[in-house]
Amino acid sequence: MAEYANPGVLVNTAWVADHLNDPNVRLVESNEDILLYDTGHIPGAIKIDWVADLNDPVTRDYLDRERFEQLLGAKGISNDTTVVFYGDKNNWWATYAFWVFKLFGHKDARILNGGRAKWIAEGRELTKTVPNYPVATYRAPERDDRRIRAFRDQVMEHLKQANPTLVDVRSPQEFSGEKLHMPEYPQEGTLRGGHIPGAQNIPWAQAANADGTFKSRAELEELYQGKGITPDKDVIAYCRIGERSSHTWFVLTYLLGYPQVRNYDGSWTEWGNMVGVPIEKTYQG
Amino acid sequence: MDRQDIIDHLLDHYETPRYHGTLAGADVVMPGGHPDCGDVVTIYLKVDTTGQFIEGLAFEGEGCSVSQAAASILAEMLQGAPLTRVDELEFTEMIDTLGRDVVKSRQRCATLALGTLKAAVAHYRKAQQREQALTDG
Repeated sequence: MAEYANPGVLVNTAWVADHLNDPNVRLVESNEDILLYDTGHIPGAIKIDWVADLNDPVTRDYLDRERFEQLLGAKGISNDTTVVFYGDKNNWWATYAFWVFKLFGHKDARILNGGRAKWIAEGRELTKTVPNYPVATYRAPERDDRRIRAFRDQVMEHLKQANPTLVDVRSPQEFSGEKLHMPEYPQEGTLRGGHIPGAQNIPWAQAANADGTFKSRAELEELYQGKGITPDKDVIAYCRIGERSSHTWFVLTYLLGYPQVRNYDGSWTEWGNMVGVPIEKTYQG
Repeated sequence: MDRQDIIDHLLDHYETPRYHGTLAGADVVMPGGHPDCGDVVTIYLKVDTTGQFIEGLAFEGEGCSVSQAAASILAEMLQGAPLTRVDELEFTEMIDTLGRDVVKSRQRCATLALGTLKAAVAHYRKAQQREQALTDG
């Protein structure tokens, strides 16, 4: 993993196994499946759920500073804690939680390379015991939505550039407009199919190996730079609601070291339904 | 039940689903699904000869633990029940049955099977009405 631009942001399963009892390390499992953690998790890991914990219950937005401080304090996480995220589906939701933590500037956040699947594949220990850590004090700044998050108006401004750089990380079928969601997923949720004009389609999971680990730096550079997504660009990534694109945001920002990458979490569920904005649709069926 | 009991109950149904599989002679095979979590459930409904009671109810599906456990619990709960019970069973009651404290953040998953079953019952009734109309005609 030393090859990556920020190698310290990834840890492997052996590192996690060596730090199971490290009081300065908190393992956080974030999954799509809300009960997966309860079927067994890495000893000492706590669960953070993207709906219940990270989303605002009323406004389509993330939790605010006060709730973030309460959440982390209740989980026994302080400002100096090394937080290691892992989860199902190639760490898809782990990178999403990582991204939200970075909106509040949490300093030491990392990802377990290969996630839950690799830990299990190696036959490592799982437990159903839910740990109970002493409440910690966490002091967060106000959420900073400027650096790594993009809103629709910013995307529209972005489109005024001569060559706007957008990465649509959804499946080719969603990108073309043939489908409104991933293949095998029910097709509903947006009025129109297609993509934001000028976007390049690089499905998020192409950044992962079969075992859930990230591809090598050379492979990732070929994947993204081959489609014009280069480090000199101002890049915006999107999907349906910003979860898959958080994975791509993580890859570009931390593994390849791109200095300016934002995640448009409004994504296609906003853009595909919004009045007065253009789309491109290549599917002619 | 406390929270852990609810989780254990859901996981029991998820890991050992009841009435899982196809149902021979089903009157209705109704697919259903939700986009945000990738859950798919197909309901197999067989109605008795009176047209009033569920004779058989089974499901197949893939997806998260809540959606699949809910389908199993629903199928177990409604074997032999009158079709009107399906009409009466509201989503809020289903969520309470599963354990609101645990499934409240995945309500769409929790109610997928019920919504699909309601669609299956509606489909059955329409088919019966068409058949009756043909008979009467």
